[in-house]
Amino acid sequence: MIPPSYRARPASAAVPWGAWGLRAAAILYLGALVLVPLAVIVQDGLRQGLAGLWRAISLPIAWHALRLTFWTAAVMACINAVMGTLTSYVLVRYQFPGKRLLEAMVDLPLAIPTLVTGVMLVVLYGPQSPLGGWLESSFGWRVIFAPPGIVLALLFVTFPFVVRTVQPVLEDLDREQEDAAATLGAGAWTIFRRVTLPALSLSILSGALLSFSRAIGEFGAIVIVAGNIPLYSQTAAVYVLGEVESENRLGASAVSIVMLATSLGLVWLVDALHRRLVRR
Amino acid sequence: MNKMLSARLQAAFGLLALVLLCACGGTAEEEVGARLILGAYTTPREAYSELIPIFQSRWESQGGQPVTFEESYLGSGAQSRAIIEGFEADVAALSLQADIERIAEAGLITHDWRAAPYGGMVSTSIVAFAVRSGNPLAIQDWADLARPGVEVLTPNPRTSGGAMWNILGLYGAALRGGVQGVPEGDEAAATEFLKAVLRNLSVMDKSARDSMTTFENGVGDVAITYENEVLVGQQAGQDYELVIPASTILIENPVALVDEYVDQHGVRPAAEAFVEFLFSAEAQEVFARHGLRSPDTGVAASTASLYPPVPDLFTITDQFGGWETATPGFFGDQGIFTQAIIEVQGE
Amino acid sequence: MSEAVSAVPAMAEQAPPGRGLRQGSWRRRLLIGVVSLYVAALILAPLGGLFLGTFAEGPAAVLRALTDAQLLGAFGRTLGIAAITVAVHLVFGTAAAWVIVRQRFVGRRLLNSLIDLPFAVSAVVVGYMLLLIFGRNGLLAPLLRSLDLRVAFAMPGLVLATIFVTLPFVARELIPVMEALDAEQEHAAATLGAGGWQTFWLVTLPSLRWGLLYGLTLTFARALGEFGAVLVVGGGIQGRTETATVFVFHALEERQPVAAYAVALVLGLLSLILVTGVNLMRRRKGLA
Repeated sequence: MIPPSYRARPASAAVPWGAWGLRAAAILYLGALVLVPLAVIVQDGLRQGLAGLWRAISLPIAWHALRLTFWTAAVMACINAVMGTLTSYVLVRYQFPGKRLLEAMVDLPLAIPTLVTGVMLVVLYGPQSPLGGWLESSFGWRVIFAPPGIVLALLFVTFPFVVRTVQPVLEDLDREQEDAAATLGAGAWTIFRRVTLPALSLSILSGALLSFSRAIGEFGAIVIVAGNIPLYSQTAAVYVLGEVESENRLGASAVSIVMLATSLGLVWLVDALHRRLVRR
Repeated sequence: MNKMLSARLQAAFGLLALVLLCACGGTAEEEVGARLILGAYTTPREAYSELIPIFQSRWESQGGQPVTFEESYLGSGAQSRAIIEGFEADVAALSLQADIERIAEAGLITHDWRAAPYGGMVSTSIVAFAVRSGNPLAIQDWADLARPGVEVLTPNPRTSGGAMWNILGLYGAALRGGVQGVPEGDEAAATEFLKAVLRNLSVMDKSARDSMTTFENGVGDVAITYENEVLVGQQAGQDYELVIPASTILIENPVALVDEYVDQHGVRPAAEAFVEFLFSAEAQEVFARHGLRSPDTGVAASTASLYPPVPDLFTITDQFGGWETATPGFFGDQGIFTQAIIEVQGE
Repeated sequence: MSEAVSAVPAMAEQAPPGRGLRQGSWRRRLLIGVVSLYVAALILAPLGGLFLGTFAEGPAAVLRALTDAQLLGAFGRTLGIAAITVAVHLVFGTAAAWVIVRQRFVGRRLLNSLIDLPFAVSAVVVGYMLLLIFGRNGLLAPLLRSLDLRVAFAMPGLVLATIFVTLPFVARELIPVMEALDAEQEHAAATLGAGGWQTFWLVTLPSLRWGLLYGLTLTFARALGEFGAVLVVGGGIQGRTETATVFVFHALEERQPVAAYAVALVLGLLSLILVTGVNLMRRRKGLA
């Protein structure tokens, strides 16, 4: 927030045109670069009004693509919430050999191009690989080129999200309450469930929501890993690509709008949560 | 401290400027003699890598100035769109007539490209199957693709021209009585057959080449594809077998000069000579060596051993009235394929 | 009383101080084990697979692949795009952060929330939005035609797409840093007669340098890996709009897995080194 000492001063004591110039630059940068493209796609998707948009997204293939995108993202977010919190807990509370490696691994997905992620997962878990072949022949589980592969790719790509939102909160957590609960005879699990977890809940939620939002738009890893069969393993982003290439603008724009609205809404929600978190 | 910061920042900017210069240099156009830009689909890459040097030496020996080539290979539809959006290819060599026609409709091709030999089609192929070495599942014809437990690969028609040929080949064969168990002329039965095959789909790739790569990565038992994709793959050392169904569709690949860019670049003589060269017997033989069937009857006769005749070969025009009817009829929102896949996945 | 006594041995068992929790070591081992297994299966193993795949045909093949002219061109393009992107965000990102933190005007909140938007947009949608504006039938098509400018299916389009997707990094890093910065020093400079620009350059910027460096590094790393947007807006034309990531995509199609994996590995390692390098520097300086 603006430091109080500054608020008392007028807008800028420096050369006025410099301030205006900067403001204009900032507005141009953010407005032209961000707002205009978004406005263009919204306008294109609404070319035939809301009815036209609804028609485009209610086509079976489009509708299924959206549903698949949302449920795989949701499954991933749940798994991520659990495993991310667990990872964070282990990193903050424990010392053990290999901890540095673990710490570095957490950030890895942010550095790897998503396309590369997809390639790696197919190489390792694809049906032609020893591991993937074994999973399929023993349990009938096909991971790659099927919806589970989508969840796997999403888990990789969003792994850091929950860990990194929970870690700072966990680090700053005051242990007094936990210690008090321990002296009162609470078991470790009870302490975690009734004392630690509630303190972390907001950060876990925002991490999970952020990973969900990120997952909606994921393309690079999924296009390699998923198989992309319409009505089975084709996500919204891959569907949009298909529509762009077959010059079905309305379909592409309409589905894009739904994706945008959801992830944008979530990003703003997380921002609001963060502000609450900071205030705590 | 501030001086150090300044120095560091200056160094950083200097480095940035240097990288920028290199990047710009990398994309600057060089004017060295004449340059022809070829925009092709992915499959004939190997063929063109042989054809281009032959043309270059021929052209120079006939007194032309040295000509360099810039080649781009993308999926046919993607290449077509790139050319329309501003990729200034002088010669477009694509997989389907519809992709060339799109460029013509955008006003970039102004001459009658169909007046060229063989109606503008520089090579042909057929829809066929790639199966595993030894053909363990004994796949001989279309009907085998609908057998339970057989995993089929074909690309997505939304993004792949090759996929459209595949589906049309399948459906046409069914309508013509080329599929056991499907009565001739019975559209309902043909559609049911299409759905049966779609039920066996395991991956739908973006393009024909992607589909072959997936097959090569061990996925699927049979890939519906161009015959020449299989042959090129085999030439590259891949260990799969080609199976030709008794009834299948003829794939015709067009080539056309793109007037707009040719005139912009001022390379018309060289470009026209190149296109003419592609239709010559010599070039046709090169195509034939790279898995493509030649429309030239002489070359076709001399390469008959490589390309067994197909008992029932039909064309898109004969069977479906051309792309104008086939595309919406099969791949539009209410198209036969679109509906079939919806029904199959809804089960 | 007895609980407090029995709590003591449990506390003594744990090495880190101030634990106070009665946690058995088996629980600890279980948790560490589960997490390690998860991370190994999800992240380490695929990375290992990539290494193996790259060197499956020996180092000579890798070297051959990495010195291929087409690849070098693609790499040069990627680096050039990343450099331009970094330059743009260095200037405009800093300016935007400054304006948002130090100025007050109508719409400031809106501007702030715009910064996060690019995170929420799918790569394919980014490319498509740019096509809608700069494509043949796009919003600005007549203007581009009259200026004989090409954006879509050309380098400018790639640069714009990359600038869009990397927009949040610098601004988001700088805003909290600027907010935490005491404006007193800036006031002092102003009262001593320093102009706005001087104040910024000599007083504000030095305090920002770590946040700026971190944001720019993230920007660069992300720009290296951009795929979907540049594929859609650029078309992946060899020799023109094929970036390193698109090259990987094409190499997979063209039966050159070693080339694909090698480039993928290089891109991944490069980004990883950049990101962890800056992370380490920050931690050493005592900043979170």
